[in-house]
Amino acid sequence: MPDQYLLEMKGIEIQFPGVKALDKVDFFLNKGEIHSLLGENGAGKSTLIKCLTGVHHMDAGTILFDGKEITPTSPQDAFSMGISTVYQEINLCPNLTVAENIFVGRQPMKGGMINWKEINRRARELMNRFHMDIDVTRPLSHYSTAIQQMVSIARAVDIDAKILILDEPTSSLDDNEVKLLFDVMNELKSEGMGIIFITHFLDQVFAVSDRLTILRNGRLVGTYDIHDITKLQLVTYMIGKDMDAIFNLKRADVAPDAPEMLRAEQLGAPGQIQNVNLSIRKGELMGFAGLLGSGRTETAELLFGAVPATEGTETVNGKQVSIKKPIDAIMAKLAFCPEDRKRDGIIGDLSIRENIALALQARRGFMHPISLQEQNEMADKYIKMLSIATPDAEKKIGELSGGNQQKVILARWMATQPDLLILDEPTRGIDVGAKAEIQRLMLEMCNDGVSVIFISSELDEVIRCSNRIVVLRDGKLVGEVNGEDCTQQTILGIIAEGTQEGVSA
Amino acid sequence: MPERLPEKRQSLASRLLKPQFVMVYATIGIFILIYTYGAVRYSSIGFTTLRTFVNMFKDNAYYGISAVGMTMVLITGGIDLSVASVACLTGMIVAYGTSVLGYHPAVCMLVAMIVGVGLGLLQGAAIHYLDVPPFITTLAGNFLARGVCSLISRESISVSHPMIDALAGWKWYIRKYVDGEWVKIKPIAFINVNLFVFILMIILGTIILHRTKFGRNIYAIGGNEQSAKLMGLPVGKTKILVYGFNGFCSVLAGLAYLLEVKSGWNLALNGGELEAISCAVIGGTLLTGGVGYMIGTLFGVLLKSVIPALITFNGSLLSWWGKIATGGLLALFIVIQRIVVTASERRKEAKTKP
Amino acid sequence: MKKKKFSMNDIMQSKITWAVVAELLILLVCFIIRPDFFSIKYQPATGMLYGSLIDILNRSAEITIISMGMTLVIALAGTDLSVGSLVALSGALALKFLRWDVLVYNTPGDYTVKPFILVILVPLAVCTLLGLFNGFMVSRIGMQPIIATLILMVCGRGLAQIVTNGKQFTTLYSPFRVIGQGSFLYLPMPIIITIVVVAAVSIFVRKTAFGTMVESVGINPSASRLSGINSRRIVMIVFALTAFLSGIAGLIMASRVMSNDSNNFGINFEMDAILAVVIGGTNMAGGKFSLAGTVVGSIIIRTIVTFVYYFGIVSEATMAFKALIIILVIVLQSEPVRQRMSKLGKKKAKGGVVHA
Repeated sequence: MPDQYLLEMKGIEIQFPGVKALDKVDFFLNKGEIHSLLGENGAGKSTLIKCLTGVHHMDAGTILFDGKEITPTSPQDAFSMGISTVYQEINLCPNLTVAENIFVGRQPMKGGMINWKEINRRARELMNRFHMDIDVTRPLSHYSTAIQQMVSIARAVDIDAKILILDEPTSSLDDNEVKLLFDVMNELKSEGMGIIFITHFLDQVFAVSDRLTILRNGRLVGTYDIHDITKLQLVTYMIGKDMDAIFNLKRADVAPDAPEMLRAEQLGAPGQIQNVNLSIRKGELMGFAGLLGSGRTETAELLFGAVPATEGTETVNGKQVSIKKPIDAIMAKLAFCPEDRKRDGIIGDLSIRENIALALQARRGFMHPISLQEQNEMADKYIKMLSIATPDAEKKIGELSGGNQQKVILARWMATQPDLLILDEPTRGIDVGAKAEIQRLMLEMCNDGVSVIFISSELDEVIRCSNRIVVLRDGKLVGEVNGEDCTQQTILGIIAEGTQEGVSA
Repeated sequence: MPERLPEKRQSLASRLLKPQFVMVYATIGIFILIYTYGAVRYSSIGFTTLRTFVNMFKDNAYYGISAVGMTMVLITGGIDLSVASVACLTGMIVAYGTSVLGYHPAVCMLVAMIVGVGLGLLQGAAIHYLDVPPFITTLAGNFLARGVCSLISRESISVSHPMIDALAGWKWYIRKYVDGEWVKIKPIAFINVNLFVFILMIILGTIILHRTKFGRNIYAIGGNEQSAKLMGLPVGKTKILVYGFNGFCSVLAGLAYLLEVKSGWNLALNGGELEAISCAVIGGTLLTGGVGYMIGTLFGVLLKSVIPALITFNGSLLSWWGKIATGGLLALFIVIQRIVVTASERRKEAKTKP
Repeated sequence: MKKKKFSMNDIMQSKITWAVVAELLILLVCFIIRPDFFSIKYQPATGMLYGSLIDILNRSAEITIISMGMTLVIALAGTDLSVGSLVALSGALALKFLRWDVLVYNTPGDYTVKPFILVILVPLAVCTLLGLFNGFMVSRIGMQPIIATLILMVCGRGLAQIVTNGKQFTTLYSPFRVIGQGSFLYLPMPIIITIVVVAAVSIFVRKTAFGTMVESVGINPSASRLSGINSRRIVMIVFALTAFLSGIAGLIMASRVMSNDSNNFGINFEMDAILAVVIGGTNMAGGKFSLAGTVVGSIIIRTIVTFVYYFGIVSEATMAFKALIIILVIVLQSEPVRQRMSKLGKKKAKGGVVHA
């Protein structure tokens, strides 16, 4: 143990209306360490971080940074002290170039004017350090989310930061990019930077951190050395309840003679994805596996008409249908929970009730309104069924936590009583407890005869739940594995080789 | 580990052919198209002369000056509806101060400047601190300035002062080098104070937008204000200053208009804010913020000036056709702009997808 | 279902509360200066009630009617700048049909050249079509509403000029006079029309799911689309409705003066209508809207104008007063101020509990 911590947060208390968000939480960060901060949603992780970056003001407690007491008043203030943050959502300007996004606000000047040459040169150097050879003079919006995330990290480390906070930086990255990020993190660590790492991926915690701190319900559970704790212990500490719920889910059984629910033949939209051939039976849970950008989401969007298919045929329950836009799909009893909950899922300012009724209402058309009483009954039913944590159905969905928002979106689609439910990353960014619940619901629906397409970047999850797994790579369906006899190895093999024949199972 | 590539020197073509410039090229292209049409059609009656070209600029210089500040406001994602009223108020202050109260015009101009910039800063502060939509804040500013104009006087006040006359009469003739001496070109073309100020403001605007931190912050705010805040940029200060600068531009525009008509009138430049906005929009500035270039605005002004010029040269068309033509052009232009942008986005998507 | 309880806090935070308070304050000032401001008399000659309050309601009719549509446009996170031009166009078309052939009937009189039904329907139909054009530009071409409607704003008055060939007609046709100057149930006809329009729009919006869908599209267009809402159709309907209502306002306006005026009809109406919506508590960024709030907003605007007129203040200064009222309302409505207010409200509520 060093004689002095880089950062000491002691006895932090924050009171929000109605709840104590943080109750006497201590957090210590060493120089040159990667320290994971763990906890379920609502445990107080982000509140603690926001307290450090000056977004929230603490009601009690002290923060010592390099031995000196500090009270950051705003993110800018924290930033200027050397505390830099990278958020889950890209907080950069899409219209500016990559180089400028790294340097805006602290551009090198020459004769009172911005020195563009210097900016571009230094940006290129920095991106090279991250092993990224990209044209830094292109607008940020030109690049993928992963690259954008790297740019925001580049921005964060280029200043003389002593503490780097990474808030869920990996949720949009694929494995290679995560590895790249870890390399960068280790490099920064060796330069003496203290890194606070927040993630939902437990594997990543064990892969990269030195120590970890667990919070639960606004209280400190403890700080542990990474070698002194097992994964099971960690999860148990985080949710404080039995893990059997998660690990003992039973996969649904599909009768071998179950009728075909959906068939896609040569479905495609040029420029997006082509040659999609799929067949799903009633009550089947089909998993999509593949890396980010492999075409998982695009395939789902194509089936649902979010991107109109211009070639091929789609058959639902034996009837050929023409799905040009989402409402056509809804009419054919399909449902789709999109990947980006905030952008494509919730209607933030509307109540839970209105959000749940939305898709059913859209199917009925606005001239045939669902009566308020029906809406209330529906909302109450699903709030109870999915155990959505809310005082009443009139709360704005935007004020709920991520997991609860996801459940409301799920309720929206369950209310339409679909035959096929497509779930794109339904468990991303939500806590373990809610995750288990959503998986349970998914399986229950299959047992009730609903077909489900389940897309997730967590392979474990896909393997655990699916009857059949379709593997995608580079916008193509490259393999299909029967759920019962598939392992992580088989699937990774297919992804790596690109063909099923490449792997002899 | 990937090879470290040597620094690539980008060719001029690849530097110019960035997708972010597409809109500006569209504006320039359409201007050239329309101008060429005029040139072919009316060259016999002098459409192609430098004189016509310069006059086109000159007649709309005050809208152009205002469009410089407006472009910046629009890039931040805001809007300013008060510009025409502030310009009108400037004219009223100078006219009333000089003709009725007998002060020196320079003093009145200074007062107008303080009032205009002050109102701009105040609007910016309201937008930032009270979180009121710019549309509404500046609508209030618009009504306020216009109301004050009417309170000052409901009659047109003419101005006559040596300084104003001198400014209005200043001319810089365009000459060419013939046989060892500079002679005025025929037909005579000259640059006046308004045009001079307009060009100066375009240059100043370009420098501010591209070579200063303030300018880059403007783009950042327009790109994503929340991000800009989290990136530690002085969002509030920048927004307030942008509206202040726009106030400054409005005052200059008002002075330019004053030099043109030599009088102050409480209903002058009614609806002028939309002229300034449409100059910027035709020039490729997005009302959603984040995108816009001064050079685009320059051509936006030109494009808007070439239509009345064409109608004048036609001679038989009635003036309300000007309105319809401007509206039609606006429609046409925006549609083309949409198509160009969508196409470039598609190309981009195709490129990033394997 | 649990009953929703209204606390002091809810009332303090409700935006419409402030609009109503503002209106009451202005009326109070009027009352203090001129106690007879509130008197309403019956005038047997016209069969109408008469008084300042009636006048305010009567004169606010056009803006109230237009702002019903504008509320929905703004709830969709848009703005419609073309309403003023459409008012002028509607008036021009009506007068054109009343006086189609000026060579034959060269003096204005109590006649109409084209059937009266056309005089009413054609302007409304043309406006609705142009509204569909606005909607098309926004929903299909993907233009920002403010730009799409800027086009019609710029050339709408030009169209009106072309329709009447730049002329100003007058008419004395009595059925047409009824629209703007007639009466029903002792009230001026524009008030009746306004009540009908407000009721019809409210029922259409709130008794069907249309209102929720408008809000939904205004808040998150992408999520709405994926939920199966046909946002294009919603946008088309809203813009068409707004234009249709502008057409009605144009007819009322033309009937008031029994003439058309392409240059001056509906000047600044877009600003006033937007203002009414915003004063009424609907956010310019789209989403939740309040038609009742908009009605109050429109009445506030007219009250100021009447106030200025009634007390002999220079009429051009109306602008400055409007500015002051906007400033007042936006300051009261602004997030920081409302938060502070609600904190105050909470403190009071706490005090009450202790006392009990």
